[in-house]
Amino acid sequence: MTDKPMDPQAAPRSLPVGSRSDDLELAQRVIQPIPPDSVPVMEAVNISKGFGATTALVDVSLKAYQGRILALLGDNGAGKSTLIKILSGVFPPDQGELRFQGEPVRFANPGEARQRGVATVFQDLAVCELLSVTRNIVLGREPQKGVGPFKFLDLKRADTMARSALHKLGVRWERGLDERGINISGGERQSLAIARAMFFGSALLILDEPTSALAVRQAGRVLEHIAKARDDGQAVILITHNFRHALSVADDLTVLAQGRVAGHFRRDEIELDDLTDLVARVA
Amino acid sequence: MADGVEQSTAEARPSRGAVLGEAFRRFMLRPESTALAAVVILFIIFTALSPQLFPTKLTYISIMAVAAELGILSIGVTLLMIGGHFDLSVGAVLGLTSYVAVVLMRDFGLSPVVATPAAIAAGALLGMINGLIVVRFRIHSFVVTLGTMLIWRGVVIALTGGFPMTVDIPPLFKSLMAGPLIGGFRMSMVWFLVLGLAGTILLTRTKFGNWIQACGQNPQAARNLGVPVDRVTVILFMIASAGAAMSGIIQVARFASVDALRGEQMELQAVAVTVIGGTLLSGGYGSVVGTVLGAITFGMIQVGLVLAGAPGHFFRTLTGLIVVLAVILNTDVARRLARSRPLAGFRRSSAAADAAIAGAADETDPDRDDTPTRDGVARLGEPKQ
Repeated sequence: MTDKPMDPQAAPRSLPVGSRSDDLELAQRVIQPIPPDSVPVMEAVNISKGFGATTALVDVSLKAYQGRILALLGDNGAGKSTLIKILSGVFPPDQGELRFQGEPVRFANPGEARQRGVATVFQDLAVCELLSVTRNIVLGREPQKGVGPFKFLDLKRADTMARSALHKLGVRWERGLDERGINISGGERQSLAIARAMFFGSALLILDEPTSALAVRQAGRVLEHIAKARDDGQAVILITHNFRHALSVADDLTVLAQGRVAGHFRRDEIELDDLTDLVARVA
Repeated sequence: MADGVEQSTAEARPSRGAVLGEAFRRFMLRPESTALAAVVILFIIFTALSPQLFPTKLTYISIMAVAAELGILSIGVTLLMIGGHFDLSVGAVLGLTSYVAVVLMRDFGLSPVVATPAAIAAGALLGMINGLIVVRFRIHSFVVTLGTMLIWRGVVIALTGGFPMTVDIPPLFKSLMAGPLIGGFRMSMVWFLVLGLAGTILLTRTKFGNWIQACGQNPQAARNLGVPVDRVTVILFMIASAGAAMSGIIQVARFASVDALRGEQMELQAVAVTVIGGTLLSGGYGSVVGTVLGAITFGMIQVGLVLAGAPGHFFRTLTGLIVVLAVILNTDVARRLARSRPLAGFRRSSAAADAAIAGAADETDPDRDDTPTRDGVARLGEPKQ
């Protein structure tokens, strides 16, 4: 796989892919500054959330922009998962506000968030094991043919959709689309879920620890696909506790520690050692 | 596998033996394979036991009559089980809706044209109650329907006072529901096969069918992708109970009566039929065609044992044996699906097209990740191959 050639049409939102994330090189990439007048796709403003006596999040803010990957970093228990559950509509914040494309929103449930264009790939919850790849990809958005009560699955079109979804992401899918979910590896599952989210046109893609269960090479491939989603114009929030993975693809980083924001950085403002120090110091 | 893709165009045609072998392999991976094997093997055994009596048309007619009444009820139960739930109340629902149909016809003098849809609607309503309780209170369907089974059965016994109630059935209605066809088979068989076909189409060829399977396999993932899991669940319970009502009406038409114990134990027979048909008890995977074959298996055992002169208790024992065998064979299905590889010379059906599009055909793939997932390891016990 070579880097994506620059497409003049897509130029304004296409950012350099950077190094081959395959080998997780941490070479400095040129990170474009955020244009001053651009509106974040998703903005969290002073979010707080508690569960009973425990406080999960205090005054957390973040911004995710179109065509950029925001890595949300933090140790276990830092509040990452609480934050993404708020962003994806699983539960509302106690205080603070979400702004989606500049407008305050309150998602009643994940379905509503999805309708608005927030696609979340939860860890380990991506695939139905005994459904085919095609059926997994079109699940919830099945193409149909026929009229009135006699509407049937358009299996041919479903196959075409699945194929183009994978193709759009640049996934090399050597095996059949009739392969069942149980037969595909963890990395392929993540890629499939990303392809699905991208293909159905989300504005914001939230990925919860997509690389945590994967071998190095698989993780590299998934990171490549995440970069591809970014180049395609998505806003991406990547949740991870792997700093190397974050640095290899992210444009911006937000570090959480004990429920608070420990810092916002642009990728080229920070090095791996600084990040490690930062998290270690707060912890 | 990558070189398989590469060479596929140049490959010689596989031998006839290999084609048959591959066809057999694919068939064995289907959920219906166990049930079909059961039908064939039982047919051979019963024919050997009573060669004069068993392979006759009269026998086939009896088998299909038994299979139809149980089968119609089991189709709904199968869909529900694929969606991840049990319904133990279908037998009692059958009894109660039969009672409703009889009372509407006898005491209210309604025509069966009105009474039949009314009874089916009553069934759907009872199913909706099950579904709403399961969805609303997040209680396992096994417990919920165990409760409603006892409740509805109690209601039927109270309403009938424990005595059979007879009703005059218009001959046309009787022949439409359960009467003999030209050729001797009963009309109920037609309903059975039509509903079996409808169930198969619903499961495999519609959006709703895809949702049923997804809900049974991974409800959380389905919900996250916008599948209305709760609505699907409630509808499945309604289908199961409406199917029970339909079976009940066929029995009412056939016997021109209802009694307090009508439909008792059919809930468990339906589970047996469904399991023989290859549907996983854990949900998510199964086949309506398998259930149709499972119901025929059931009919064959019942009729075949009588013809062979076996004592009555044999029926339970043999059914039990087959259920256990079927479960052993079928719970292995996920493992078989994961392990099984095409015979040499065959590719998985659409691999070539995908490879061509993805541009993978031009290179061998040294880094195809074959690592089983954590899930895979946990479920399969050991890596494949």
